[in-house]
Amino acid sequence: MTGATEIHPNISGTPNTSGTYIGSFWCERNIPELKIERHIEDNRMIALGGKMIPCYTVQRNLASIQRGVRWTSSCRPAPLLTASPVRALIDDKISIRGHFLPPRCPVTVCAQMQSDDGDLWEAFAHFNTNLDGTVNLTRDPSVGGSYLGREPMGLLWGLQPAPGAREGLRLRKKKVETPYVMLMSLLKGHVSPSERPSTELAAVTSERWYMAPGVRRIEIRQNGVVGTLFLPPGSGPFPAMLDLWGMGGGLVEYRSALFASRGYASFSLAYIGHKDLPGPQHQINVGDPYFKSAFQLLQDHPQVYRDRVGIIGLSFGVYLTLRLANHSDIKPSCLICINGPAGSNIKLADADGRTEQMENDQQYWTYDDQGNVSFRAVSLPANLSPESKVKLEHLTCPLMYIVGEDDLSSSSIENANLIEETLSAAVKSQLFTRLSYPGAGHLIEPPYTPNSRASLWSVKPQKLVTLWGGHLALHAAAQEDSWKKILEFMETNLRH
Amino acid sequence: MDMKQHCVKLSVQPSRGLVDEKFTVLVQNLLPGFQLTIHALHQCEDGHSWEAFAHYTADATGIVNVSQDPSLGGTYSGVEPMGLLWSLRPAPGSKTGLRLRKMNVQTPMGVTISVYQGHQTEGFLDQVLLASVVVERWYMAPGVRRVPITEGRLTATLFLPSGPGPFPGLLDLSGAGGKLLEYRAALLASHGIASLALDYLTVKITRETGKMVDNDYFETAYRVLEQHPQILGSRIAILGLSFGAGVTLRMAVYSQVIKLRCAVCISGCHVQPIDGHVEQINAKNIEKIHLDKDNQSILRDMLLPIPTDPSLKVDVGRLQCPLLLVVGEDDQNWPSYESAIDMREMMERAGNSHLLTVLSYKNAGHLIEPPFTPFTRASTFKAVTNPPFTMMALWGGELVAHSRAQEDAWRKTLVFLRENLYGDMKPGALFSNL
Repeated sequence: MTGATEIHPNISGTPNTSGTYIGSFWCERNIPELKIERHIEDNRMIALGGKMIPCYTVQRNLASIQRGVRWTSSCRPAPLLTASPVRALIDDKISIRGHFLPPRCPVTVCAQMQSDDGDLWEAFAHFNTNLDGTVNLTRDPSVGGSYLGREPMGLLWGLQPAPGAREGLRLRKKKVETPYVMLMSLLKGHVSPSERPSTELAAVTSERWYMAPGVRRIEIRQNGVVGTLFLPPGSGPFPAMLDLWGMGGGLVEYRSALFASRGYASFSLAYIGHKDLPGPQHQINVGDPYFKSAFQLLQDHPQVYRDRVGIIGLSFGVYLTLRLANHSDIKPSCLICINGPAGSNIKLADADGRTEQMENDQQYWTYDDQGNVSFRAVSLPANLSPESKVKLEHLTCPLMYIVGEDDLSSSSIENANLIEETLSAAVKSQLFTRLSYPGAGHLIEPPYTPNSRASLWSVKPQKLVTLWGGHLALHAAAQEDSWKKILEFMETNLRH
Repeated sequence: MDMKQHCVKLSVQPSRGLVDEKFTVLVQNLLPGFQLTIHALHQCEDGHSWEAFAHYTADATGIVNVSQDPSLGGTYSGVEPMGLLWSLRPAPGSKTGLRLRKMNVQTPMGVTISVYQGHQTEGFLDQVLLASVVVERWYMAPGVRRVPITEGRLTATLFLPSGPGPFPGLLDLSGAGGKLLEYRAALLASHGIASLALDYLTVKITRETGKMVDNDYFETAYRVLEQHPQILGSRIAILGLSFGAGVTLRMAVYSQVIKLRCAVCISGCHVQPIDGHVEQINAKNIEKIHLDKDNQSILRDMLLPIPTDPSLKVDVGRLQCPLLLVVGEDDQNWPSYESAIDMREMMERAGNSHLLTVLSYKNAGHLIEPPFTPFTRASTFKAVTNPPFTMMALWGGELVAHSRAQEDAWRKTLVFLRENLYGDMKPGALFSNL
């Protein structure tokens, strides 16, 4: 095949000595496969404490003290832990494997990383190694830890704040130009990450990126519009997405960065809670003209196909998406709505920039036993002001609505129903696609990132933790599947 | 037929890979039968541009998959998943004698992969660009630690894998061009072997006094590995390329200090003075260098014929550890193939030939580098000998055969190192990504 002439057959994968590997650590159980054999190799001597002694002698001596005693070997290299690819995009799958371990032995694989705010997040899973001394997270089920069962990416979506962390945390990357650096370790036995220092056998560092090489990040402060544009490498032009988030505010860039890494220009827009926006940060001080300007800015960009621009919105961003698409002079190619309302009691600023006091949505807030607040009822169709409900009869482009059935922040199921009924009445059902995920919560984000069932919403005037919902493994499955379908939907509507 | 840019989807997976990792290049949403050119562009550290390209035709489903579909022409042809890298060559108009080697291993090699309409052969910048991505190729995995070593007056860099260890160790010796070349050691550390890249020819003392290092220098380097708290002294190897391969053999056979688990010699020769120092080597045979029709220097005859007198060769019959020899049969720089044959005979006579493995590649040349490294048949070479001299050295080899040899040899070298340095492992435990 290769043209190599192998003059000696040694490199064929057949070992030229017999013998059984003995692990370099203590196995609690008496494993029958680990029999000790004499193991003589003519020209191999190993150094033990400065003296050269034949290999077999060492093993016999060690065997006599092996049972029940921790054996830290000075003559065998450590097992290996590998992750592939070791530098990956956030939505890439990673294959994590351990090698050169004793067969049928308990091990723990743990993952640790620091968020941009300096909080430590960690996950761990318990495995029993295979007969060939390997552990493979794509193949093997976890028998304990942050998740159970066979979940190749469980260590990633199963990340939780480490013990002692601040409460109410949510993992969100602020700086998308740097990767998450994940330290993955292989530990002996079924342990928790706090025991890492005394049990670590091997480690591998991997990087997870929101931005592919060559993607350009451009801060936009133009025509009063505040946002960040991400462009794929190359000269373009590119199909594009306008990216809208919820009332948490600020400028959320990571989803746009990933879209650009998949070949779409993408523009993250700020509309509340950003220092470069006018007026007090706790309210929306921009109106329809602002959102239209943002869409047109994207359309008019020399590296964007003006008739191939879509809009994606999460939470309150859904209302903004639908409202924007409803303008007769705004013609998006497609809309993606995740867990958000078709109407709102919150008024946007009018055409002259005058803002009104927000309606008091607090009347609809509900609280659980711990005092955590759920905003869900705020967006029940019955509680939404009728004149704010978007007139979807005028819709001309495909609309995908993604529902987390355990959404505790937004009445997603009810709003999806409302939208579906409206379109059906207008004989436009063919434009509507619904994805509905049991057990998924409000924050359906790019895959392989952890969900927070609740997180800190505000500290003033009072400390409030809000409920998002979502059950760990089900929410993770929803993120993985919905992301794939989002990219397919974009491909169909923006590329063809 | 015209293709709309917005349709074409180009993806390269992984977009950030190690230099010895394969990638998949996929172009989608094409019209069936559509003709395109895939182009690779790399700007190296010296500022020179290197490019490769290949012609493809989309299949009935509108897809081009470089791993499965044949190139119909360009800098490579046929089904070649990694051809866009190993067929990279200096862009037209570049100066002659260039060779691509990364000196700074802490940054990646960036390659821009683009899709152009039609079967193009030149003037790419003026063509209709349909899609483009940037790919990074790294010598260092994340978490690998790079530690400059200056103790013992060494000029060296140690690369340590992530994790607690202990790790097997390796001393990496480059060829007669000198300088501290780190790329192989960085890559080996990315595979779990603590590796020390050693400059032994252009070190401070040599540059200042003209005197070459002696054997103590190598033994000091070995001790740095042996005594390191995260490295297993009993599991150390040496890997030598070209001139460094000769040093490797001498150390493996004669050193009282150096005890190796195994050794790897790439494109090397066992013909040298035994107790002599580096400077004695072959200044006398310079008149045996001859030029080919392109004025490129062929050095291999300097060491031919292989002497029968054993005192003129390293006595490999005394070797006590496994040895892997990697040789290109078209090596025009050293008679590495003839040397391998002779070494085999010596070891058979001595009764230790079970330690020897030879990988011999037809039509491969001297510079057997990590896989996907662009092939160079000849390049400007400044030998750090006494006296030093610069020439256009002919390395030999043919593009495709040499590139295949690099890929195969690296994979087998990693298997050899792991088998010997990890020892007694079941073959099934070895990686499938090799």
